[in-house]
Amino acid sequence: MLNNLGLEHYLVLSAILFAIGLYGTLAKRNAIIILMCIELMLNAVNITLVAFSRYVTPELLTGQIFAIFVIIVAAAEIAMGVAIILAIYRGIESIDATKINLMKW
Amino acid sequence: MIANYGYIGLFLIAVILFTLLMVTIPIALRFLRIVPDNPNPVKNSIFECGMETIGKTWVQFNFHYYFYVLIFLALDVLVIFLYPWAVSLRQLGISGLITILILITIIFVGYIYAWRKKVLEWK
Amino acid sequence: MNLALFIPELTLAVFALLVILLDLFTEQKRLLVQVSVSGLVISAGVTLAMWGESFPAIFNNMLAVDNFALFFKLLLLGVAFLVILASISYTQKFARFQGEYYALVLLSTLGMMLMAATTDLIAIYIALELTSLSLYALVGFLKDSKSTESSLKYLLLGAIASVVLLYGMALIFGFTGQTQLGEIARVIQAMSPQTILSFPALTLGLVMLITGFGFKIAAVPFQMWVPDVYEGAPTPITAYLSVASKAAGFALILRVFFSAFGLPEWLSLNWGIIFAFLAVIGMTLGNIAAIPQTNIKRMLGYSSIAQAGYLLVGMAAMGFSPVVDILGRSSIIFFLTSYALTNMGAFIAIIAISNKLDSDLIDDYTGIGKRAPLVALALTLCLVSLIGMPPAAGFMAKFYIFSAAVRSNLLWLVIIAVINSVISAYYYLRVVNVMWLGKAASEEKISSPGTLRLGLVLSCLGVLLLGIIPGFAMLLAEFAARIFVF
Repeated sequence: MLNNLGLEHYLVLSAILFAIGLYGTLAKRNAIIILMCIELMLNAVNITLVAFSRYVTPELLTGQIFAIFVIIVAAAEIAMGVAIILAIYRGIESIDATKINLMKW
Repeated sequence: MIANYGYIGLFLIAVILFTLLMVTIPIALRFLRIVPDNPNPVKNSIFECGMETIGKTWVQFNFHYYFYVLIFLALDVLVIFLYPWAVSLRQLGISGLITILILITIIFVGYIYAWRKKVLEWK
Repeated sequence: MNLALFIPELTLAVFALLVILLDLFTEQKRLLVQVSVSGLVISAGVTLAMWGESFPAIFNNMLAVDNFALFFKLLLLGVAFLVILASISYTQKFARFQGEYYALVLLSTLGMMLMAATTDLIAIYIALELTSLSLYALVGFLKDSKSTESSLKYLLLGAIASVVLLYGMALIFGFTGQTQLGEIARVIQAMSPQTILSFPALTLGLVMLITGFGFKIAAVPFQMWVPDVYEGAPTPITAYLSVASKAAGFALILRVFFSAFGLPEWLSLNWGIIFAFLAVIGMTLGNIAAIPQTNIKRMLGYSSIAQAGYLLVGMAAMGFSPVVDILGRSSIIFFLTSYALTNMGAFIAIIAISNKLDSDLIDDYTGIGKRAPLVALALTLCLVSLIGMPPAAGFMAKFYIFSAAVRSNLLWLVIIAVINSVISAYYYLRVVNVMWLGKAASEEKISSPGTLRLGLVLSCLGVLLLGIIPGFAMLLAEFAARIFVF
């Protein structure tokens, strides 16, 4: 029934998700939520990759392999991010990004 | 184009009707005095399975869970690579096997590291 | 698949794992340094043995083994060696975690070597992230509030930049259906300009690529992390970031833009203009913001933003000139080599001085010329090289880059760059002035460990050598720039 769901729909979806994630990284104060927004952006890119892979090069799996690598790198990135946030929390008892301001200009 | 969304609209209407129906039935039954109405504290308490909660739900989790998550994450990531390899085991042959063994060795070094750093012990 | 061509990278990976394991089972921490250095030496030896010959790309055309990649591998291995030399006395600040430190240095070097060699979008992303993830951890190694803060800033901004880069890659993949740079070039060249311009995907993807790469090389306006991270990070890692990260980033940009988007010419003109614009604001903002700084690490941070601007002049020259002209490319390679030696020398001198003073403030450097004359002399030489005055390497590097730009009809850009060099002399010479003419706080001599002295001598010799007889190095750079497999 949804046969004419085309490439553009996926691209628009992923662009919207990417924009939401980008807004979150810029506007949110909680460092964990910023990390979650970055994750959202990565997944938006994954949608783009898989959609292109399905519609542009249906006979190849390049885009999907790319997406798998992105997922793995994202996992490593988040693990690293949470570790650093924990180290910050030990120091200032807060993960509010606006309070992490020892150095400016 | 729009017609395709008609199905979604139908589903939406069906869902709303069904939900309303399910909410109305017990109210109607009580109104018709078919269901007895005698409340007590146990009946009025929040319906929840398991133990009653103690204290607030916004507690900090023990720091050590983080290491467990990391150890789990390593396996998780390993599995993502193992599945595609396992599916095309025969085509990839011996070079694929060697690659996977290298990957497992790297993860294994990670586990040795975790073990020597006493992450696996609960202090 | 020919694994023999992958031995330099494999060696580093094996030695990194070996360092981690050794650290767990031995108390002899000196051993870790020896093992990491031997890993670097073996890897460099194998790379050197491959120099000059041409090899096919390996892993289904994902990694090129051309002389361009080999040159950068040698450069990066050399820088990593100097960083480890500089770290030996510094690691006392985190004695418990030495194994992790050296292993991460090796792993990020591995990532950068891959960055210089990759010819495939997937491999580029993975190499970038391998480098970045190791560096995020290294920046936070001191575990004090400044170090962790800079690490968090680096991680969050770096993650956003790499996501933007990734989105650009996804768009380019969607536009061409390819991830291999040579294949992308073939698809683009087969299209008419109207087709390319009627879809925004390629243009948007290119801009996003420039954004992501610009973050790595600290180009304005993607430079916000640089001063904070340079100030907070352990000083050897600051040196490593400023030199190796930038060299690998430029190697990547050169390869991507040359082999995938070098033709047709109207396209290269377009990204050339973007790079020219980035160069102008990079040089100007870096130099002006460096003037009021009081912390020498922070000052060198802004200085590295400005240097990225000079390098981008070379990129603009590359975009504006026809593909056959190799002066743009080879001048960037020469500049990166001289900048690597110069900045390593400057940072090793800073480590030697700051370790004793326990301060990075420029005001505390008063009278260092009398307390540690040789170190101060070396630092002076490096700062002079950063300004771009003879006889140091920086002069020749700027000379080559500017002449490449002039040859590509970018005289206006060169004029701006020269004005900027004059401005930059002010803040570099202020440090020199404070060191030699200021009154010393005490008469006590500052002695530095032998490893630091060795590193300092090596890098200063390199600076002088490149400055006095640049012809040989320029020949090497041209050789590396000529043989580009795509």
